[in-house]
Amino acid sequence: MYPQPTNIWESIEYSSLGISIAESLWAFPTIETLHVIALVTVLGTLLVMDLRMLGLASTAVPIRKVSDDTLKWTWMAFVLAAITGTLLWISKAHSYMINPYFLTKMGLMVVAGLNMMFFHFVTYKTVDQWDAAASPPMAVKLSAALSLVLWIVIVFCGRAIGFTLGIYY
Amino acid sequence: MFDLLFNLTDWLRSTFLLDFSFWITETPLSLFMVENFWNVPLAQVFHILAISAAFGATLMLSLRVLGKAGTHQTLVASADRYIRWTWWGLLVIVLSGVLMITAEPIRNMVNAVFWIKMILLLVVVALSLGFQKKVRAAGLVGGIEARASGGLKTSALLIVVLWALIMLCGRWIAYVPV
Repeated sequence: MYPQPTNIWESIEYSSLGISIAESLWAFPTIETLHVIALVTVLGTLLVMDLRMLGLASTAVPIRKVSDDTLKWTWMAFVLAAITGTLLWISKAHSYMINPYFLTKMGLMVVAGLNMMFFHFVTYKTVDQWDAAASPPMAVKLSAALSLVLWIVIVFCGRAIGFTLGIYY
Repeated sequence: MFDLLFNLTDWLRSTFLLDFSFWITETPLSLFMVENFWNVPLAQVFHILAISAAFGATLMLSLRVLGKAGTHQTLVASADRYIRWTWWGLLVIVLSGVLMITAEPIRNMVNAVFWIKMILLLVVVALSLGFQKKVRAAGLVGGIEARASGGLKTSALLIVVLWALIMLCGRWIAYVPV
């Protein structure tokens, strides 16, 4: 039997869903596989958009077109990554909540979200002026560079979690 | 399924791969990879980042052929934009993969899933080479209005599915009973 939960994270971990995923031979690896496929799709499509915003690739294509081509796939994959990530988290919620790499990863994802919102609601207002520019304004480039750096560190944190899950108590 | 994989791995254990793997563990590169805690996770991070670049580019070209993205561009322009990212990405995937194998040769090479993954990789490389050639050819003939044939669309989809299966194998190397 499982011990009595002493905090909310243990209650989530010892829920029937958490226990089912943790005890199953195939559930965690299968969900994790979907998580990997989803996250490489998020990052791979983001890379296409960010390189365009940096003026390093697809420079003959207007930025709006590149956005139309990539954004819906980025979002679909992100939703899958978020759902599968939540399921993985439920199965070991307490271990994740005391892991500094997990907490850093979540914090950086918030920063990445804020960066994206700033770009879409502030920088993007003037898109008509730089839509077709091979080399967009500095604000656009900074946003893309920040996005790439953040997501690369997020991938590192994600991998680090798997190597440090048993270290912290 | 698990039984079949287990028996396959059991057979691999009786081949030269076991001695070969033990030999690798004594090499300086293998020792270097395991003596620092972060070397293996960092190799995996490069592996994942390179998969993102290569798979993202592969996906975008396949979506273009399927008419689901980038249809404002010619097939040739899409091919020029994405194909190089697939191959340069694959180079980094292979290099980081070799480092990971060197760090843990037994876990990888005495493992049925690893060899299924390698076979699928060879299949997707061969398929992609033919596919990319045909995409360019179709684009050169038809310009922006060029429609990919049914066969080309099937290949586009199959390549994406194969990449997903390869990733599945990659993750299951760590979990399969050995």
